[in-house]
Amino acid sequence: MTVFLQTLVAGVLIGGIYSLIGIGMTLIMGVMGIINLAHGQLMMVAMYITLVLFNVLHFDPYISLFVAMPCLFLLGVLIQKFLLNPLMKIESILPENQVLMTVGIGMVLTEIIRFIFSSDYKSVKTPYSSSAFFIGDISFSLPMCIAFGVALIFTGLLFWFLLKTDIGRSIRATAQDKDAATLMGVNTGRITVITFGLGSALVAAAGSLLLPIFYLFPDVGGPFTLKAFVITILGGLGSTVGAIVGGVVLGIAESLGATYIGMGYKEMVGFVIFVLVLVFLPGGLKRLTKI
Amino acid sequence: MKSKNITLIILGIFFLLFPFIIKSEYYQHLVIIALMWVVIGSSWNLLAGYTGQVSFGHAIFFGVGAYTAGIFVTKLEISAWWGMLFGGFAAMLIALFVGWVCFRLRGPYFALATLAGSEIIRLVATNWESLTDGMVGILIIQSFRSKLPYYYIVLGLAAACIYAIHLLMKSKWGYYFVSIREDQDAAESLGINTTLYKNISLLISAFFAGSAGAFYMNYMAFIDPHVVFSLHYISIMAILVGIVGGVATIMGPAVGAFVMVGVQETFRSAFFGVAPRWISEAHALVFGLLVIFVIMFMANGIVGDWGKIKRVLLGTRPSA
Amino acid sequence: MKKLILVTVLLFSLGLLAGHGISFAEDTIKVGIVLPLTGDQAKFGEIEKLSFDMALEEINGKGGIKGKKIELVIEDDTGRPEVGRSVVEKLITKDKVVMIGGGYSSSVTYAVAGVCQQNQMPFLINTGAADKITEQKWDYIFRLNPPASKYSASVEELLAEVIKPKTVTILHENSLFGTSSAKSFEKSCEKAGYKVLLKQGYEAGGIDFKPVLTQVKQLNPDVVYMVSYVMDAALIMKQSKELKINPKMFIGGAAGFTLPEFQQNAGAASEKIISATLWHQVLPFPGAMDYYNKFKAKFNKETEYHGAEAYAAAYVIADVLNRTKSLKNEDIKKALSETDMMTAFGPVKFTAWDKMTNQNKASSYVVQWIDGKLEMVWPKNLAAKPFVFPVNWLKVWGY
Repeated sequence: MTVFLQTLVAGVLIGGIYSLIGIGMTLIMGVMGIINLAHGQLMMVAMYITLVLFNVLHFDPYISLFVAMPCLFLLGVLIQKFLLNPLMKIESILPENQVLMTVGIGMVLTEIIRFIFSSDYKSVKTPYSSSAFFIGDISFSLPMCIAFGVALIFTGLLFWFLLKTDIGRSIRATAQDKDAATLMGVNTGRITVITFGLGSALVAAAGSLLLPIFYLFPDVGGPFTLKAFVITILGGLGSTVGAIVGGVVLGIAESLGATYIGMGYKEMVGFVIFVLVLVFLPGGLKRLTKI
Repeated sequence: MKSKNITLIILGIFFLLFPFIIKSEYYQHLVIIALMWVVIGSSWNLLAGYTGQVSFGHAIFFGVGAYTAGIFVTKLEISAWWGMLFGGFAAMLIALFVGWVCFRLRGPYFALATLAGSEIIRLVATNWESLTDGMVGILIIQSFRSKLPYYYIVLGLAAACIYAIHLLMKSKWGYYFVSIREDQDAAESLGINTTLYKNISLLISAFFAGSAGAFYMNYMAFIDPHVVFSLHYISIMAILVGIVGGVATIMGPAVGAFVMVGVQETFRSAFFGVAPRWISEAHALVFGLLVIFVIMFMANGIVGDWGKIKRVLLGTRPSA
Repeated sequence: MKKLILVTVLLFSLGLLAGHGISFAEDTIKVGIVLPLTGDQAKFGEIEKLSFDMALEEINGKGGIKGKKIELVIEDDTGRPEVGRSVVEKLITKDKVVMIGGGYSSSVTYAVAGVCQQNQMPFLINTGAADKITEQKWDYIFRLNPPASKYSASVEELLAEVIKPKTVTILHENSLFGTSSAKSFEKSCEKAGYKVLLKQGYEAGGIDFKPVLTQVKQLNPDVVYMVSYVMDAALIMKQSKELKINPKMFIGGAAGFTLPEFQQNAGAASEKIISATLWHQVLPFPGAMDYYNKFKAKFNKETEYHGAEAYAAAYVIADVLNRTKSLKNEDIKKALSETDMMTAFGPVKFTAWDKMTNQNKASSYVVQWIDGKLEMVWPKNLAAKPFVFPVNWLKVWGY
């Protein structure tokens, strides 16, 4: 029973970080239909920013979060404005060009970072890096709990933002129907740029939170991009709550898979869920509720 | 028309005589790899460029073909060359399943599903150790010391692949494929059995990709799940070859294959030893920049946008 | 468009011919070295490369080989076997090296050895450890380091004499090295009568080992044995600390557990962990301590057994090139097989034993991280510091 509970706890906690990564992507995918295969690489860049701040200025990663997020927001804005928006106007045989553009962007980001920092593994050691507190026999990793908490807070903030603010409503309008939104006076070009920036900022937060728990190298982004997809599809495009639920579900599924099937199969669980959802539950969990 | 045939003949002779002109095994190796990519890229192009189903998981077929050949050696103790025959068919079998699952999805969702499928198969191959030896991989002894037999085999495969696609696209099936790409619903309403033709395109594409995989097993003599089911080095490379060369053109992927392999090795070897060491680190960066550049400015690839390239480079006016 | 293809092909061939013509001064003896300089094994590749460079400087400084300098052509296998194959072919056909050295990861080494044997190119392996590699009766392949199955020999002595466990769990990375090390350790445990409660492989690069570690905690084994590369090793120990796993001893099967990066990344979680190793600077081999000190002074970082293997290999290569009748493959092979020398790594002589050929018989030892430093603790007569046991892990971790 302890094994089951501990596995569950581990899964939920890592699910928190997954959710944060997924929220950024679901926003981008939901609003603009853009599949961002560079999502993990954006997180990686944020992690390196956090690392540099830690090494040079001795900023705790949780503080660097507030620096990394605006930086990535800016980066996201630039990418969308100069590299992705123009693609909408180009006539080409295959509509999947923008996906490939993000692949190219991801590669460039990875290689530039590799050039600056080399392929070495880097990590930060904070006093709380491997601290855990215990409830009964179950261990709760402190940094992961913090990450989970922050993810919840950001989801809440995002939710409020999308519901109550003007820009938020414009984003939702653009997500629902771009042309109608334009007709209603929404500057959809600007909205897409802001949305990409916002999505990037959110994944940056995930990166800063992940750094104390994991380690860092230029290729760290790839697997997380794939997880973000699973979460996005699972939770439903554009659904913030869906992303949280999707992230936690993925975390738990992976944990249970690792414990009861075998560690080697952990990654596969996510992908199988992905395909199953794509085929049997298109629209994701969102379809089951109404958020 | 005439000049096209002459060019092809000259090319044909060049490739037939190539190993006798360039005797260095190192360069022969590069050309062999490039020819292999001609096959993989062309097969991807058939499915994606012509039929509009952009697969991000072509490694599935490549890897299945490679493992078929490898398993023939480790489990059945017959030569891996039988894999060249059966690898393509094994890939077709998997393709039937992939098609059944994924073709109900459109556009980007299809792409993501194939990506997920490729990762799933990679993990299965990693963990099903009794069949595949997992991460330990399969190592065989090459049948031939010299590169010549491998060169001619892959050359033959590449030529067959391109010719087959050429014939295919000239036939009625070719029109069906393109109509599906342009507007699947319209095609369906015109009475074209889109599911059938999507699957036909997939099966042929898988066959060639699988054969290329089996060739890889025979030539490189070592495979493991990370190598042949790699998202980055196989699936995405296939897409890049197609896009850079020119989707929906016959020779596009061929050009793309040589460009990509050429660029990769030129940088990895630091311009064949001439440039400073650190340049070799830049080859992946150049790839990425190339992708961005091509998509922004040459979305139809080198072959597809050749007119535009000529205009920019030579300042000639487009012919009336 | 067709013209384009012609032009591309012509340019390509021109490029090939041009590159072909460029070569460098032929007054050196070229030796090819295959190492992971980038990728996730880059840290190991780096230590070995630096050691090779340092040894080369010394050897060439003393006059090289009968006046001629040795030139190391170092190629990056990026940790991938297919790249290893390609670069070795390049070394053989394009650079025309006289022999090959290096070989870090078992998977890459295995693939590279296949190519070398086929091309009758002598290959002196200094790190790739999977037993399989020297069990193929490949006469051109020689190995300086012991096979993976022998890595834990000293640890097994320690287990039998001091720790005396009843139960063991084994965790290993699932590539050739981890899988074969784990298999042979499992066999040794069964022979010694320790029950193996769990043996699980994992793909390197994981974030969360808690699921499998929770199972380990539940099983409460006496010994937790791990075979990992460095970052996974650090994570596993950090997470074991988080879960408060308290066996009699944590044991690493060399590789990641002896690197300074392990201690840097795992911090408190690395303290008192023991590991198998193949070398330590306090060993009574000529030049061992000198190598350690010189490396530290020159590169401002610690070295360990991988570096020592490379350093010794360089000296073996120099010795072979000095003794060989000519630079032809068969003569170098003969000179290699006749090697009988002492190096900073230990004695080197290639013989056939167990199922292997051309395999050096090197010993293994046990080290322990004590106060943040890697100390040699077993065998007792060679130990620099006493072995710390039993260990109350909860106290060590500050609970």
